[in-house]
Amino acid sequence: MASLPPFIRRRFLSTTTTTNVSKKWAVKEVTKSNFSESLEEFKDHLSSSDFVAVSLQKTGSYRAPWHRPRPFDTADTSYCKAKYAAERFQLLQFAACPFTLRASKLTPYPYNFVLFPRDELKMGMPTYSFSVQPSHLTSMAEEGFDFNACIYNGISYLSRAQESAAKARMGNPTTSSYVMSSSSTHTVADTVFVERIKSRVKHWKSACKNTKKDNALLSSLRKIVMGSEIYGTRPCMNLDVCSERQVQLALEMLKEFSDELVPLIIPAKGGGTQAVRVVLTSSTADKDLFERELQNLEEEQNKRVRGFREVIDLISASQKPVVSHNSLNDFTVIHSEFLSPLPTNVDEFMGSLHSVFPHILDVNHLMKNIGPLRKMTNIPAAISYLNNHYFAPIDMEILPQESEGNIHRHNVVKMCYLFAKLCSILKISDNAMVSNNALLAPAIKEYSNISNPCFDSPQESTNEDIRVWTKNMRKVSCDQLVFLWGFRSGMTAGMIKSLLCKSHAVFSEEFDVRLVDKSCAIVVFWRRGLSETFLDAMSSEEICESLMEIVSEGLRASSYETYKRACRLGLWEADLAESLDKALEDSDYLMEANSATNSKEIYWSSDSAINFDDL
Amino acid sequence: MKKRRRRRYHFIFYLGSKTLCINPRGPKAQANAQKMNTHRPARALSRAISRALSHSSSSSSSVQQQSSTFPLKNVTKSNFEPALADLRRHVAAADFVAIDLEMTGITSAPWRDSLEFDRADVCYLKVKDSAEKFAVLQFGVCPFRWDSSKRSFIAHPHNFYIFPRQELPVAGPTYEFLCQTTSIDFLAKYQFDFNVCIHEGISYLSRGQESEALRRLSLTFDDELLTRCSNLKEPVHMPVVKIADTLFAERMKNTFTEWRDGLLNLRSSNGGFQFQQNSNDSQQLQTIFFKMRPALSLKGFTSHQLRLIQMVNGEKSCQQQLVVRTDSEDDRDLLLKEVKDEHRREAEVKVQAAVGFRHVIDLLSSEQKLIVGHNCFLDIAHIYNKFLGPLPSTAEEFVSAVNKYFPHIIDTKVLLNTDNVLQQRMKKSRTSLSSAFALLCPQIALGKKSTDSEVQLCVKVEVQVDDLRSSNWNSGAKHEAGYDAFMTGCVFAQTCSHLGIDFQACLSSEKLPHNEKLQKQINLLYLSWSNGDIIDLTTGKKKAMSSGYNNHKKRYAQIMFENIALIWGFPSKLKARDIRECITKVFGPTSVTTVYHLDETAVFIQFSKEKFVSEFLALKETLERSDGPVSVLHPLTGLLEGGSTRAANYETYKEICSSASAKVLFADQAEAVGIKWKTKLVESKEASETLKREIFDEKSDMNPASKPEKLRSNTDNAQDDPLRGRLSHYKIIDTLITSEGDRIRTN
Repeated sequence: MASLPPFIRRRFLSTTTTTNVSKKWAVKEVTKSNFSESLEEFKDHLSSSDFVAVSLQKTGSYRAPWHRPRPFDTADTSYCKAKYAAERFQLLQFAACPFTLRASKLTPYPYNFVLFPRDELKMGMPTYSFSVQPSHLTSMAEEGFDFNACIYNGISYLSRAQESAAKARMGNPTTSSYVMSSSSTHTVADTVFVERIKSRVKHWKSACKNTKKDNALLSSLRKIVMGSEIYGTRPCMNLDVCSERQVQLALEMLKEFSDELVPLIIPAKGGGTQAVRVVLTSSTADKDLFERELQNLEEEQNKRVRGFREVIDLISASQKPVVSHNSLNDFTVIHSEFLSPLPTNVDEFMGSLHSVFPHILDVNHLMKNIGPLRKMTNIPAAISYLNNHYFAPIDMEILPQESEGNIHRHNVVKMCYLFAKLCSILKISDNAMVSNNALLAPAIKEYSNISNPCFDSPQESTNEDIRVWTKNMRKVSCDQLVFLWGFRSGMTAGMIKSLLCKSHAVFSEEFDVRLVDKSCAIVVFWRRGLSETFLDAMSSEEICESLMEIVSEGLRASSYETYKRACRLGLWEADLAESLDKALEDSDYLMEANSATNSKEIYWSSDSAINFDDL
Repeated sequence: MKKRRRRRYHFIFYLGSKTLCINPRGPKAQANAQKMNTHRPARALSRAISRALSHSSSSSSSVQQQSSTFPLKNVTKSNFEPALADLRRHVAAADFVAIDLEMTGITSAPWRDSLEFDRADVCYLKVKDSAEKFAVLQFGVCPFRWDSSKRSFIAHPHNFYIFPRQELPVAGPTYEFLCQTTSIDFLAKYQFDFNVCIHEGISYLSRGQESEALRRLSLTFDDELLTRCSNLKEPVHMPVVKIADTLFAERMKNTFTEWRDGLLNLRSSNGGFQFQQNSNDSQQLQTIFFKMRPALSLKGFTSHQLRLIQMVNGEKSCQQQLVVRTDSEDDRDLLLKEVKDEHRREAEVKVQAAVGFRHVIDLLSSEQKLIVGHNCFLDIAHIYNKFLGPLPSTAEEFVSAVNKYFPHIIDTKVLLNTDNVLQQRMKKSRTSLSSAFALLCPQIALGKKSTDSEVQLCVKVEVQVDDLRSSNWNSGAKHEAGYDAFMTGCVFAQTCSHLGIDFQACLSSEKLPHNEKLQKQINLLYLSWSNGDIIDLTTGKKKAMSSGYNNHKKRYAQIMFENIALIWGFPSKLKARDIRECITKVFGPTSVTTVYHLDETAVFIQFSKEKFVSEFLALKETLERSDGPVSVLHPLTGLLEGGSTRAANYETYKEICSSASAKVLFADQAEAVGIKWKTKLVESKEASETLKREIFDEKSDMNPASKPEKLRSNTDNAQDDPLRGRLSHYKIIDTLITSEGDRIRTN
């Protein structure tokens, strides 16, 4: 830094000074250095709030246009897409904002946790490597993101799955959790083992008590002979075990000495138990003291291992509804970074997620209930639209201005504000909010639906508002869609449509063509069954003349199933055409039953749906 | 007269941004001025410091007691151009140039780390994978010049911050690179400034990318000219429905006729300009000269009005700002060509600017100077991949291509480890850059006053950064590319002097690369340090390390790759010991030479005989097919537990290494590569030969390096190609998501 031209330095310094303006909602920046005290504060705010809003900042978004969720995606395919992005890019910033909303008064307590997956335990966790999009970083830099603060001082973390793996590998002794089915019969070998270690322990114990005034040589000799060691300030001894059975036997035996001896379990390096360590305490009081010490030690260690994940655990434990702007993207990231690796299909994911976050509210989904907002993905734009078109005053101090340093950190506050407005406009009743415990009245429950990454859920809603926008959506079943590729590059949807019109009889009926990306188009047959006719015609031996011409030019067509297969197999080529070709090559899946497809319905919007992805 | 009447007057609508054409130098010149302004305070300051310092340094320069610390030359995009100009001078005068790179990572997965079990071709695949996946964030260049009057080297350490920003909007997937968490953390430990890198890093285009961009440019312009001409020939009619439109069109028609007539009068009469404009028009229409031709610039019309105007003139276009009068069809074509050329030049300037940091590489290549690096095979691979083009699939091709660009490369690590004299001097100390530097150049490394005997041996190095000079410089910023390059250069200079090269005598007469004392080591690089394989850049031949030091590292004296079986996906509780036990029970106690863990999911088993490999694989296959009592009791069953144990020979390892995906665990990687079989049988030597060839063929197909090429050719005439989209706005982007187009266009 010192070597920099001064004007650069000035610029970076300025970001830190402007954000220190004290306002009620001033975002609290949390890094490694102030994490533990902030965590306490956050805990208090969380417990007194009604909701918690979260907003994430990652190192990239989508690599190619078709990788982002599109209107024609089912829950399955959009989950695959979100999973692909979540697994590659790294989370650098987690904004969490507990807030209360009472009688249109919004009180947010925004926190901004800066994260970096530093390998604190030197175990290659939480992340060995991650992908980065320079273009994404550049725009983050323009918004004032401080990468040095993030990389130097970001808080590290381990997911729940990683934590247990790490604990096993660290091999720190843990207090025993001894539950023995006492009825189990001892074999001869068991009895021999128990007797042997019992006599050893007895011998060692009495020796320890009698040798207070031994000289150094003798005590070190004894150490060698009896395998006696010192644990902290207390003498201890290790009993080697060969199986879990022996662990249980040893623990059972040690119950006899439970007034003075504390057994600890020493895990082996790849799981299992290496030994049982017996620690001798001088009295019952000392034993209690020792057990407390152990507990504190464990807590400390947990804190070190979990790091930022404490925040996730707090939110989960609080059972407060979590408000997110793009729940599928955000929660696939949260799941893979803080819970466990993402499961392969969306149902498992939902199940797993639901057990940790039972209530998730998607602002994007709420916005879909207000017709013109359906296409809006930008929070400030949505807010200004609502301000201009609805009277729904929300009592909060002025919104943070764009000019203030790191823009992203204010997003979460804006999101709270937007959420509050939407609740007020959609008449998600106040009484639902006021009563702290019954947070989710039926009215709001309707919207708390993360399964809306795609368009397969609105039919369950009976709300008046929803009909407004379902009007210009037409329901399309997956089997009405056909993917087309291999056409000359530079063709527009219109050109393809007119080309198809001339090619086959099925196109005399109503159909639509849209480009997915420059390599691939999607055809919608409004009458059911025509897609099969068309696909059969494309692949049949006696292909008709007009169709033959375009097919010989390289045109390919395939059903929706191929697309699903491409997503499922993770064939994330830059061009969809390439991926579809590869999916067709993969012969193993040709046999696969496609029972699930028929039930899937998606809504074909007559205009494009835009995904909010990076703010 | 008749001829004259037949001659038509052509009106040309000039497309594109107005400032671009009317004042082509406008925005850029402005930006330059701005750059100068922002740069000036920094320069002024450094000059002030230099003045203050030069006082002390000039007095101390003869005595050389204290070591001065001033920062080395940091180059970011704001001072890149002047720094490049300086560097050109320094490199041209230099005797050798030391380089060093800081990357975002080294290995994309633990099993991609270099191992003793890497055959030379696998070594290259690993280096290739690393260079393809990770980015370079800092590039140190340090030219060294021998100053015979001072009997000292003058070094100019430069530290370039680079960042692969996509300056040119390119079609195709968004560029991504990988970061290895530990490497990023390592950089942070040495105070690497990520903000400067991301905000201010210099971007670059490789030669491949540049020619691709230029090729696309010419395509775009050819297309544009074509469409424009065809449009002129068959005017598109738009039915005028509204009366208001008719009126407007009529008036514009009159205005143009009037204007044209006015011009004609002007020419015939040589008199004053008589084009009368009413007050309203004068705001919107202004006569200017465009390329020596009279033109009307249109301002403040709506796009609908512009469409009407265009219709009046019978030509299709949009967002036009100029109506130019041309004398003839030839003249019109000439004008079109001029406009096109100008566009092309503009775009070429932009491409040139986007080349950015590659100018430094081109400079090093064109000057054909001796390049000095420390253990620099990976560095060279990065340079190739980032600044030349996709890496070839084999080490031989790579090496011969490198040799063309950089005919003289010397690796100080090779130098230190292969020369017996130096070996003795280095004793047993490590040959990492910093320890070699501390040992060989103590006067620089520690800033201590050298004793007389050492002074004889020590090569003097004076450092110059801008106006600051010191013969005793130490910025101390280890693991900063510029400083590391400086250290490398110092180590090299010192080593040369130990080899008995007298700079004073030889540098005046011959070039350093041709010095006979360096011939044994020049153009030799470590393919892999961990197994000591060396590759010769001039011949492409690989050889094991010739002398001493490294040999004791080779625990596995002779690795027979044919004797190796690869097993993965076995139960995680099995350790090397257990696996060895399983196998020796079947094949005899001496059958297994070594069991080596690739990672927790995979092992190499080196058998004592090659036939064991095929026997083992065959046995595994039969055991898995039959699930009778025999197989349950078989000693190998423990290994096969769980049913997902896979096994193959060494060639499969190579195949998996060459795949582009980056899974952390080897077993996951194998799955990602698409391996579905459980056992790859190797029947006999002949069979394995054909197998090898097959794998080789397959690989050339799936070679990831060829992929970008393929993609690019697909996207050539792309609709939403932003470069083209910017130049011709009339193409309507017709995709499902308009947001996509918006995003790209605003890029």
